[in-house]
Amino acid sequence: MIKLFSKILAALVLGFCASSASAESDIQIRNLWVQAAPPGVKVLAAYLEIKNSGKQQRVLTGVSSPAFGQVGIHRSMIHGNMAHMEHLKELAIPANASVVLQPGGLHLMLMDAKKPLQAGDQIPMTFIFGNGENIAASATVRSGTMEGMGDRQPMDHSGHGEHKH
Amino acid sequence: MKSQRGALTGKSLAILLIIAVAIAVAAAAFIGSRPDNARPDNDRIVKPPEEIDDYLFWEAKQLTDFKLIGADHKTLVLNDLKGKWSFIFFGYIHCPDVCPLTMGVLGQAFKLIEKNPVAYQEIQGIFVSVDPKRDTPELVKEYASYFSSKFMGVTGDTAQLDAFSRQMSALYTIHPKEAQGSGDNYSVTHNSTVFLVDPQGRLYGRFPPPQLPQEIAEVFVKIRMFYNEKVKK
Repeated sequence: MIKLFSKILAALVLGFCASSASAESDIQIRNLWVQAAPPGVKVLAAYLEIKNSGKQQRVLTGVSSPAFGQVGIHRSMIHGNMAHMEHLKELAIPANASVVLQPGGLHLMLMDAKKPLQAGDQIPMTFIFGNGENIAASATVRSGTMEGMGDRQPMDHSGHGEHKH
Repeated sequence: MKSQRGALTGKSLAILLIIAVAIAVAAAAFIGSRPDNARPDNDRIVKPPEEIDDYLFWEAKQLTDFKLIGADHKTLVLNDLKGKWSFIFFGYIHCPDVCPLTMGVLGQAFKLIEKNPVAYQEIQGIFVSVDPKRDTPELVKEYASYFSSKFMGVTGDTAQLDAFSRQMSALYTIHPKEAQGSGDNYSVTHNSTVFLVDPQGRLYGRFPPPQLPQEIAEVFVKIRMFYNEKVKK
């Protein structure tokens, strides 16, 4: 119980830090999570929403995390039932819009995991933007097999993850 | 200035028109190619109910023998499929998105099928790794069983994998040239359909992506019912 409480407290503090640190930024990193995987798995995926409330397009050029050797921006695509992955050099977030990275489409590919991760773990990540701005955020490892997928929308085959708000 | 704008609008209208025509042609071609239109109703002895027809192959196809390798040198052969409904998925462990997504959906579908204990007893999940260079039988077993106790994990050498996957037209391609990071992070293109093999060892149905747990569970229970009433000999 105490453990749970301290976890919640830690999450709140982290959330507060993240929001205060990026208070001046037009970019918000939301719902950042890592799909929990079996212990031997070295490659995982992270999902999130990147919201740009500014008047200019912003470009995500890279992501890093001390928990992984490398992080790439990837897109899963399914054509004629064949699934393949495309590596993106960068990801544009249009002005006043959000880009959602979710299972079955855009995702961060987390490579060379330094140690096995368990549901509930917090992973620090840094998002690097083309204008030089770095935004720190914490990802929660969660077992996505049980949550959030039951109401999953059919995959977007057009290959675009953007929605305008 | 004005005429230029007018010309631009005309141009974009023309482009829109071309796109609309292309979509219409593609849609017509798609509808025309639908198997229901091409297939005479007497192709099969008993026509399945409409709600499961889209998930079934026109004709159940008897699989020929194959051999895949599991943990502890255990093998999986055609005979191991008999008497069970097998849900088969081809993937690889270094696949961070589509594979855990599909395996998770299947794991949830199996939980839903568990509400029907007799049907649940008859199902098994088979995860086939098409990346034997990185995925040892032991890793594949650990990976598959993480998603459901109903899952077994197997792989094999290229010849063994091809002999099995070609029977389902489940093609795959390994892309070592696109390696990133440590050089061992190449990707694999794979078929993300879940294949259903009936208790006679025949390729019977398929769940194309994107799959949903509820859909797989409900459709499977109906397929099994139809099979038990009309097909089983």
